Amino acid sequence: MKILINVIIIISLAYCLTGCSSKKNSHNEILYWCSNNVDEINFAKEIAKEWNQGNPGRPVKYQPVPEGRSSEEIILAAVVGKTTPDIYSNMWQGDVEAYAQAGVLVALDTLKGFLDFIYERCDSAVIDEIRSGDGHIYQIPWKINPIMLIYNIKSINDMGLSGPPKTYSEFFDASKKFQKDINGDGYIDRWFGYSEVLVTWWQRFFDFYPLYLAASDGAHLVKDNKAVFNNEYAVEVFRFLQTLYKKNYFAREELTARQDVFLASVIATRFTGPWEIAHAEKFKPKGFEYDYTTMPVPDGHKGPVYTYGDPKNIVIFKSCKDPQAAWNYIKTMITEEGDLKLLEITNQLPRRKNLNRNPVFSNYFTNNPKMKIFAEESKYVKGTDASPVLKEVFDLISQEYEACVIYGEKTPEEAVKDAADAVNLLFIK
Amino acid sequence: MINRKKILPYLLVSPYILHFLLFVSFPVAFSIILTFHKWNIISPMEYSGISNYIQLFNDKTFFKSIGNTLIFLVIHIPLQITIALFLAEILNQKIKLRGVFRGAFFLPVIVSGVVVTILWQQLYGFDTGLLNRIFTGIGLDKIGWLIDPKIAMPSIALMATWKNVGLYIVLFLVGLQTVPPQFYEAADLEGASHLQKFFKITLPMINPTIFMVVILSTIGGFSLFIEPYIMTGGGPLNSTVSAVLYIYKQGFFYYHMGYAATLGLFFALIILAVVVIQKKFIETEN
Amino acid sequence: MKKLKTILFYFALAVSALLFVYPFYWMLMGSFAPENEIGSLTFLPNSVTLSSYSQMLDKIPIGGAFINSIIVASSITIGVLIFGSMIGYALSKLQFRGRDLIFYIIIFTMTLPFQITLIPQYIIMVKLGWIDTYLALIVPYLINALSIIMFRQYFKSIPDSLIDAARIDGCNEMQIIFRILWPNSLPAIITIGIITFMASWNEVLWPLIVIRDESLMTMPQLVTLFAVGGRAESQLGVKLASAVMLALPIVVAYLFFQKYFIQSMASAGIKE
Repeated sequence: MKILINVIIIISLAYCLTGCSSKKNSHNEILYWCSNNVDEINFAKEIAKEWNQGNPGRPVKYQPVPEGRSSEEIILAAVVGKTTPDIYSNMWQGDVEAYAQAGVLVALDTLKGFLDFIYERCDSAVIDEIRSGDGHIYQIPWKINPIMLIYNIKSINDMGLSGPPKTYSEFFDASKKFQKDINGDGYIDRWFGYSEVLVTWWQRFFDFYPLYLAASDGAHLVKDNKAVFNNEYAVEVFRFLQTLYKKNYFAREELTARQDVFLASVIATRFTGPWEIAHAEKFKPKGFEYDYTTMPVPDGHKGPVYTYGDPKNIVIFKSCKDPQAAWNYIKTMITEEGDLKLLEITNQLPRRKNLNRNPVFSNYFTNNPKMKIFAEESKYVKGTDASPVLKEVFDLISQEYEACVIYGEKTPEEAVKDAADAVNLLFIK
Repeated sequence: MINRKKILPYLLVSPYILHFLLFVSFPVAFSIILTFHKWNIISPMEYSGISNYIQLFNDKTFFKSIGNTLIFLVIHIPLQITIALFLAEILNQKIKLRGVFRGAFFLPVIVSGVVVTILWQQLYGFDTGLLNRIFTGIGLDKIGWLIDPKIAMPSIALMATWKNVGLYIVLFLVGLQTVPPQFYEAADLEGASHLQKFFKITLPMINPTIFMVVILSTIGGFSLFIEPYIMTGGGPLNSTVSAVLYIYKQGFFYYHMGYAATLGLFFALIILAVVVIQKKFIETEN
Repeated sequence: MKKLKTILFYFALAVSALLFVYPFYWMLMGSFAPENEIGSLTFLPNSVTLSSYSQMLDKIPIGGAFINSIIVASSITIGVLIFGSMIGYALSKLQFRGRDLIFYIIIFTMTLPFQITLIPQYIIMVKLGWIDTYLALIVPYLINALSIIMFRQYFKSIPDSLIDAARIDGCNEMQIIFRILWPNSLPAIITIGIITFMASWNEVLWPLIVIRDESLMTMPQLVTLFAVGGRAESQLGVKLASAVMLALPIVVAYLFFQKYFIQSMASAGIKE
């Protein structure tokens, strides 16, 4: 009997101990979660310092997102456990709609001064993109990392080409010229490009999705709870990629287990973003020259080339006691001065209009010429559609991608149609 | 005045009652209720009638996952029983160092499935995996163990057999030792060969052990999850998605709690049906 | 001729035994080999390096995960032994109404596939606020039907006279369980203890569901996420090193207690 009572006491104690460790912030403090990327932590540090100097009554405490498998899961855990911060600045645009519909985000357009400020900073096309299904705005477009085509200048010149390929035909042509079996063992060991053959849903952001946006001038995947990508653009993109793998212009084996294959000239191009620049500058061999250009488009395509920008946005959770003050703090992050700091400290592009022509930033781009092309592209950058099941949409597309592009078991028409049908099943009530 | 003696037994079993209510009866009841709702954890539950069930019956991938699990069982169980029986029979003879050999066979059993999976992922590697290197070394073609949709699940079944066969060797050894030696002695007098003794005496006598092994492996096989999760993520072409992996994905990746509960309920009923059929089969055999 | 046959026989047996041991050896060697050599490794690496291990220690808190696993597995094992013996005792030695009913319920729950309770159990953890706590990992496993059945069976074989004598001496029921029955049930305790510890150590699906905070992850969970996620950066040696670390504790225990491991699993299987 004694033991039983002791056991019950111990268990209750343990429960109390674990339950009592809640992350409550003090009354006045605004809790701001930034990503745990080193540069972004430094950025947050500076902005918070400046704000705290000018606003001692409403201090901001910045904190990198707690450790975990992925920041998305951490946020979900925080929402479920009701331990959300006041501000979170690394939310992927595709996640926002689900949280908005769950009612855990503050409708920012109800805050004083928000709409004026945001229309001054961002393109109206961007604002339409981030508007939720119910007409409100729950996120602030903060930064983008556009996907473009990086290419090895020397390899292009060696093939006698005047420049990097812009259309699918030019791409095939260059691929054929570059394809080689260097060591004569009967297996090709040099490919024009490479994209991971993973079926993971987010891998499509580095192949299918930017190509689709480029081909279709920024068309939607889903709209009004329906799949709208069953069109000639998606089919063309699937066909383009399927041909690349069928003709072994893209390697089907996993090349990531070695050292960087682009810098080693094993591949001549890659679909990638500005983050690669820092890595390339650090590790490139002597004499290696590279640059970026737009994503390839179908032959006959006219007009600017769109792409995907991996947008990360800022949100305010409803648990925040003073959203107006939180907004005032966020404003300091995204003024021209704040955006310039973002560029200088993290080398990531603010999602601001006229980035390439605004004199405030001209110095930065003169010193960082490789970033200039991203600034010019930012007008044609698309994020994601506002849908609460976006992850699944990409997962279903990925499965058809695997069957068609990598294994050649379906025609592009069949694959795109099957993907659209599967997506539409998601929306059945 | 409470009669201490009388309530004592109830106090002793009370932890079980609590546990049963909280972790068995409530979950089962809640599970059934959940199948009629849509819920993604962060929003309130939404009544949805039988739409989850309709979705289930249209879900090609779910039925493929059940099929994949069955393919796994159909390969894994006979393979395992054959090898385990063979090695147990050998170990049952008077051999030296039996303990050492038995210990070696049993080693993979105690190690975590995670370790075995990471290890075999390397052995199965197409370009530089140990198995393919051996194959090309002796002049055979490379095999796409994990990248050929037709071979991927059998490869996982092979790995699972390797991992578990030691346990079943041990179980068979116990069963073999229950066979009275007089039977063998009588057969020896009649000049029976080893094979004849095995098929006419040993096998019938250890039928109960064989049936037990079948049921254990079946229940274990239906919980296949961590191996495909780590090794292939369900690919290629969804050929290695096990039922539990699919349910996990629906519930803990997409947070379709209602739909995942529906899948779980349906799958649990299938397992119960299979086990009941197996038990009935054993009863009629006996 | 007979001698040749015997030699061939033992050779074949040794080769088959090696099939079960060599892969682990390869994994161990691979963890000490430099990254670019693993692809061509068979027996011994050309050069030995600890870089896989140091990188692993840098990237993931494997020591913390080890401690978490120890805490969780030990708590569960102790809980299972205590509760299992308490309930097994009540079911085997005491008379009370509903005793047989409870026994049949326990048997029934053993046949229930976990797939049906997985989702609701997670939701209960969420509602209780136990997500990302040790409680979620430990409490659902504290009561184990198999252990109750095994204890009940074993206690039945202990003569009632022993217990009656203790009662006459003035022992209460708890003392009977822990002072009289336990010392006489060592085989059962060892068996159930080993099985429970091993099963909870290797459990990975449940931690994947209820623990998101890296500082609380168990060892198999951490190694799984490391192998599947991007943090290993496709570096083979590091993945192998983490697998070695995960296997090490159980293998060491196995080398010392091999007999007990094998006996335990065998008797558990038969009881099922």
